[in-house]
Amino acid sequence: MINEASYWITLAHLPDWGNSKINNLIIKFHHNYQISIDEFFNLDEQVWRKEYELEEKQIIDLKKAKSEITNNSFIAESLLNQGFEIIPITLPEYSQTLKSNLKSKYSPPILYIKGNKSILNEESIAIVGSRDASKNALLFTDNIAKKASIESKTIVSGFAKGVDKKALDSAISYHCNSVIVLPQGIMTFTSGYKDYYKQVVDGELLILSTFFPKLPWKVELAMARNPIIYGLADEIYVAESSEKGGTWSGVIDGLKKNRRVFVRIPEANEKNANNILIEKGAIPVDINGIETQANLKLDDDNSNIQTSIF
Amino acid sequence: MMNRIEAEDRLLKTFKIPNFYDEQWITISKILNGEKVLLIEKTGFGKSLCFQFPATVFDGLTIVFSPLISLMRDQVKKLNSLGINAKCINSEQTIEENNQIINEAINGNLKILYIAPERQENSEWLESTLKMKIAMVVVDEAHCISVWGHDFRPSFKRIINLVKLLPKGLPILATTATATKRVENDIIEQIGDNIISIRGNLMRDNFKLFVIKVSSEDEKMMWLGRHINSFPGNGVIYTGTRVNTEVYANWFEYLGISSTSYNAGLDSESRVEIENGLMNNRWKCIISTNALGMGIDKPDIRFVIHTQIPQSLIHYYQEIGRAGRDGETSYVILFYNPKDKSLPQAFIEGARPSINKYEKVISTIKKELLGERELMKATNLKLNQVRVIKSDLIEQGIIREVLLGRSKKYEFIPKSKKLDNDAFEKLKESKLKDLQSMIDYVEAESPRMKFICDYLGDNSKQEYINCDNTSEKKINVKIKPEWEEKLKDFREDKFPILEVESKGSKIVNGIASSFYGVSDVGKLIYSSKYENGGDYPETLLNLFVKAYSKNYKYENFDVIIHIPPSISGNLVRHFASKVSKKLKIPISHDLIKIRETRQQKEFENNYLKAENISDAFEFKNPTRLKNKNILLIDDVFDSGVTIKEVGKYLSKLGVSKITPLVIAKTVGGDVL
Ligand SMILES: Nc1ncnc2c1ncn2[C@@H]1O[C@H](COP(=O)(O)OP(=O)(O)OP(=O)(O)O)[C@@H](O)[C@H]1O
Ligand SMILES: [Mg+2]
Repeated sequence: MINEASYWITLAHLPDWGNSKINNLIIKFHHNYQISIDEFFNLDEQVWRKEYELEEKQIIDLKKAKSEITNNSFIAESLLNQGFEIIPITLPEYSQTLKSNLKSKYSPPILYIKGNKSILNEESIAIVGSRDASKNALLFTDNIAKKASIESKTIVSGFAKGVDKKALDSAISYHCNSVIVLPQGIMTFTSGYKDYYKQVVDGELLILSTFFPKLPWKVELAMARNPIIYGLADEIYVAESSEKGGTWSGVIDGLKKNRRVFVRIPEANEKNANNILIEKGAIPVDINGIETQANLKLDDDNSNIQTSIF
Repeated sequence: MMNRIEAEDRLLKTFKIPNFYDEQWITISKILNGEKVLLIEKTGFGKSLCFQFPATVFDGLTIVFSPLISLMRDQVKKLNSLGINAKCINSEQTIEENNQIINEAINGNLKILYIAPERQENSEWLESTLKMKIAMVVVDEAHCISVWGHDFRPSFKRIINLVKLLPKGLPILATTATATKRVENDIIEQIGDNIISIRGNLMRDNFKLFVIKVSSEDEKMMWLGRHINSFPGNGVIYTGTRVNTEVYANWFEYLGISSTSYNAGLDSESRVEIENGLMNNRWKCIISTNALGMGIDKPDIRFVIHTQIPQSLIHYYQEIGRAGRDGETSYVILFYNPKDKSLPQAFIEGARPSINKYEKVISTIKKELLGERELMKATNLKLNQVRVIKSDLIEQGIIREVLLGRSKKYEFIPKSKKLDNDAFEKLKESKLKDLQSMIDYVEAESPRMKFICDYLGDNSKQEYINCDNTSEKKINVKIKPEWEEKLKDFREDKFPILEVESKGSKIVNGIASSFYGVSDVGKLIYSSKYENGGDYPETLLNLFVKAYSKNYKYENFDVIIHIPPSISGNLVRHFASKVSKKLKIPISHDLIKIRETRQQKEFENNYLKAENISDAFEFKNPTRLKNKNILLIDDVFDSGVTIKEVGKYLSKLGVSKITPLVIAKTVGGDVL
């Protein structure tokens, strides 16, 4: 796999292809023809055209990509030397939750990670919410982290201010495993890394990014990262959402896909869109993350949790 | 693809060379075909052409990894003179210069770019590689990849991973003259099965090889002093240590022999200057450590003389490889005094810090992500110790280097194996065996060239007649009394310089009355200082006063000030008082420490040393020093940190000048 790293980097970031087309190609060479990625790239153009039924434009793109493998080798060497890993979608280490949530249409073809990658296939929850979160939202976040720790679940968050940061710090304080999904290329994650180095070394924290490793932070990347956070989690907990922005659109999208989304019931004086999300079908939970009576009847299992928390 | 005739046509036009050697063409045609080759050929064979020629044919840039800056510069200069656009980026050029060159590489104006493998640690470089059109990758002096090689470089090892990542069809050439079978196998094993190796014979038949046995360093100095000018042309003298490059250069200067010293301790400007001077035969000889060597291509170096045996016969083959690259007769001489063995031996045996220092580094790094400097502070280890430990731990897969923006940090690798002490022992044994090969060479009675070739794994059958074991006469050293006299006079006349001048300080460069390691000076100081030997003896006082009168007889000093001690003990104070009496210069004991400092030698690195004594000094009655000319006395000059700090402080008090004078100077090491 190590030797294929530069090929995977090249394929994963083919400009204008989008994950869907790239994944379809991967399915073809990996599942249908059962060849490795470097074998695929070294195939004759004719084979690409005939057997892989690639369009001329795609062949041009792939030829250009092929010439860039050399360039990406330099980045790949540095990346691997620094202990980052590349996990292609074809490997079992790739998050199966992510794959089943996002399907081949949206799943990123590779994950860049550092840390204990076995975390990726543990049961997980995401905690999301706004950057300037209210006191209640932060308290909620902390409670959910505590709950996750008791249930041995991994916490996925986005390494932004507010709820994200709280989710991470609480996870750490309760020794709960966590994944942070970066809004930037993994090699540009510098200042934050120093602070959480110890947790990475101890195997409690996994750093993950899906972007080209050298890309610096951008608003667009922060937006593009949200589906990954939602996708990596089995359940989603919303501490606080306004009526637009990343949290909002992520939840709406999740509801459409029938995901289990829990939203904190706001107090009367709070100005946020939590209630609207509940109206749209999200499951209301109290400040401790416990489903309200009405819902509990439908789901007996959770009564155990209630007692065990207190 | 072009055939040999077309290629040679092009060769003549571009390189002014009419023909390839057969093995060159075999290599080049494979390279043009996109293959990966490890080429092992003798020194001076023409391995560079095997990548330089294809580089001019390819559309795109050739990146050459090279271990030495002097070697990069040498090759770039030659290529440029042929009108081929080659450049190097390295740590001795400014960031602007390097960026400019990187831009040229991106714009496609450059054909060949030389870099050190450490460049892969540079974030800007990595980003720029994304925009270059890269046609080939070369690893020059590829033996640096292997720990069993004579010059292992951890960062070279990373090139292996790069090579593995590069796509099929990208030509890769690795070259070296000095790979034993073991090193060759190691390289091939690491790179994998898609690299083929080509090996030629290593015989250099234009060498005249001699070994001169002596019984002291003095004999070497006297013999060289007497004979060096009768050697034809120009050459290089290799000494084992930096301090000896200075000692020999001083000696030659004293004798009026044109020479200069070269070592890695010099600033880059001086080094470039000397490298250019070497090419233009500015000096009869250059006295150098092995910092000047690997790969350097000057056609007419007529002699290479070693005053000290290198660490192994492979080192030796590499270093003498600089001689006679034009194929003309050249003298290759090795001095040997049985005592010389102790230097490389000590180096091999003492090269590694103790295991608990390794453990200290590991446990420190486990807790926190640290840079080199932070690590030094956290562990109180010397820079070179930290470096050795770091690279061993990286090699063993226990820590790794990461980049946080521009700064390098070291992180622990979770679940890594325990420190493997045996690996060090094995390596040490292997190195001691290599050293033995060097001694065996000295004692050999068989043809010397054959001895070397056999050792390097070249078993081709040839006639060997080029040494003092075959057709050449043995050289014996006979010393005339007049030379003993000359050497004695030199010792009393020439003094080591203390370089302490700095902007904003009134301190000027001073002198030491001797080098620490020369004759008995070091021993005497050590005995007084650490073995309760009492005050510094008369011998040292006389030496000191002699140094004074040779250098400062006409200088009018107003007052002698001495460095106050860190712990009790008045060695320097007493010594300075005696000097004052003898020279009739008033002395003041008023320079004191205002806070407790620890002994400088407790601190293993200069950062901590500077911190230890920063703002630690005060002069009682400071106004008295206004416009005074000061002679500043200390016993041993090592890092110079203390003297510089005192100089800075006294300058603030308005003194007119400070001249430091010490008993002994150490060079590049903490002898004490
Ligand atoms: N085919 C050739 N005909 C004549 N001269 C040549 C030929 N090939 C190379 N040379 C000359 O041989 C000299 C030595 O070449 P080069 O520096 O490449 O040696 P090398 O094999 O790299 O040695 P080292 O191992 O010492 O680095 C150069 O000056 C070069 O111009
Ligand atoms: Mg060379």
